[in-house]
Amino acid sequence: MKKEFPLTNIIRHTLIVFFMLTILLPLAWVLLLSIKSMPDSMRGSLWPRKFDFNHYTYVFEKIDTLPQNLFNSIYVTSATVLITSVCAVLAGYAIVHLKPKGSLFLVTVLVLSLYFPTRVVSIISVYEIQDYLSLINSTNGLILPYITLNLAVSVLIMRSIFQLVPGELIDSARMDGAGPWRTLWLIGIPLAKNGLVVIIIVNFVTAWGEYLLAATLTNDQEVRTMPVVLASAQGGMGQWAWPRIAAVYVIVVLPGIIAFAMAQKLFFKGLMDGALKT
Amino acid sequence: MSQDLLWATLLWLPTRGETAKVTTGNPAINGPTPKSWLVEHNNWVFLLPTVLFFVWYQVYPIVRVVWISFTDYKYLTNDPANWVGFDNYVEALSDPLMWDSLGRAAYFTAMFLPGTIIIPLLLAVLIHGVQNQRLATVYRVILLIPAVIPSTLVFVLWKWMYNYQIGPINHFLVEVTGWFTYRNAPQWLGGTDLTLPSVAIMEVWWGLGYHSVFFLAGLAAIPKDLPEAARIDGAGEWQVFWHIILPRLQPIMLILVILRFGTSMGVIDEYLIFGGFNRESPTYTWTIFMYDQAFKTGLWRQGFAAAIGMVGSLAMMVFVTWLIYIFRSRD
Repeated sequence: MKKEFPLTNIIRHTLIVFFMLTILLPLAWVLLLSIKSMPDSMRGSLWPRKFDFNHYTYVFEKIDTLPQNLFNSIYVTSATVLITSVCAVLAGYAIVHLKPKGSLFLVTVLVLSLYFPTRVVSIISVYEIQDYLSLINSTNGLILPYITLNLAVSVLIMRSIFQLVPGELIDSARMDGAGPWRTLWLIGIPLAKNGLVVIIIVNFVTAWGEYLLAATLTNDQEVRTMPVVLASAQGGMGQWAWPRIAAVYVIVVLPGIIAFAMAQKLFFKGLMDGALKT
Repeated sequence: MSQDLLWATLLWLPTRGETAKVTTGNPAINGPTPKSWLVEHNNWVFLLPTVLFFVWYQVYPIVRVVWISFTDYKYLTNDPANWVGFDNYVEALSDPLMWDSLGRAAYFTAMFLPGTIIIPLLLAVLIHGVQNQRLATVYRVILLIPAVIPSTLVFVLWKWMYNYQIGPINHFLVEVTGWFTYRNAPQWLGGTDLTLPSVAIMEVWWGLGYHSVFFLAGLAAIPKDLPEAARIDGAGEWQVFWHIILPRLQPIMLILVILRFGTSMGVIDEYLIFGGFNRESPTYTWTIFMYDQAFKTGLWRQGFAAAIGMVGSLAMMVFVTWLIYIFRSRD
């Protein structure tokens, strides 16, 4: 690399910092809003004159349905992530290393479904299915359609991950007498760990923030998930005064960012290594 | 565009997988020997959960929607649905709202797509030149933060950002700079001409970091001696970028363009949250038109709604095919 002039470098870093601030400022703003005192929240200035950290306890004590909504979100998201990951690991492993008949066809259909606006168009019929199964207005019922939201992508990711596991390893395990299940458990999964982290994050982000299905398939506040509650909350006075909604917002958005921060190294490994090495 | 993160992975992992396949050779042990019936069916068990859920909530619904679109199916009546042929399609195509709503989606896409490709590309080129490794890592982590914020939370955040009372954007325009007063401050999301550009800005913000990571990975894959050699031959920085860097990023751009075209034409959550069901609003696109007819108008004319959905989807598919075609022919 050519040695850079200091001036180019200054311009470069100024521009980068500008973009970084663009990304971070909205988040900083909402975080600050959640710890502003009431009068400060009415004024627009970014930095409050007086901090008030009580909004966080207030929302749990005074908004009746909030604990329930939060629980619904956690419950639906965990179930979705767990089931989708299991499906994706099994299918990815089988497609690459067991090659049952029809797996090529399955992969083709999965890829095709990504190019079609399935999520939007299928809602008409998904409503009908849920109604038929009496799952309208049920938190449990959301889990089923949620599983398929990212199923195709998760399977394709796991397929690519299992392609990295050398066939010889799997074969030698099988020669030693291990069945396909034992091989997957002892050889496959440990080697596919990074990919698993990626699909867990991906499915978490989708299920945790899903709006369309949740808003369409549920009616009562107690069975709804956090995204629907937040999207329908009109900021104003009382329970939903601005700093209080902002506190709810921070409570909802933080788990994802913390989880990403913790899994960040593993995630980049899954994401970047491949690109950098090839 | 809720499928953000995963696509980054989808792009990179297959390339890695293919090289691994080449190096290992992988002659499957049971390739030549015919599998017994039992083994074959045991293997199918692994695919069963995926196939079950996929057929149940993706394949069947789409087939069903196609069928509904040829009937006068109404959700609320008990009468059996009658086959009406192409009536719903004729009605949809002769409704000016169908064309307006498709046009709105296309207008949004035309604003959003260039921004979400070009700005991250520039940012990636800037960050790629950072020589301090620690700083580069910090930048990269910040870049991915918006990608782990779930879709709805991004929309809610920006709904507040654009809020005309407490929103920091109008605060800046009114109180910090004094360019506007609260009386004439812009109504960003109020169904005005500014609404679709505002949504586009939000979407560009959301994809900014994560698309940059995409391009960074692509830049890292370009061998260092290629631009070096060109510089020694006397090429300027601009020429190096135009003739060496850009052509090698084209596969990534193809994927981003197709992907983001699909997501931006099919936007629905944002418009439900910002816009509501005012037919005059710029957020009343074909997706909202469909949703409105299927669930909101009180008639629940799902046959007609299904036809609207199919028209929108087919228009998208035709355009995507064309996009793939023009990008392919340049290689």
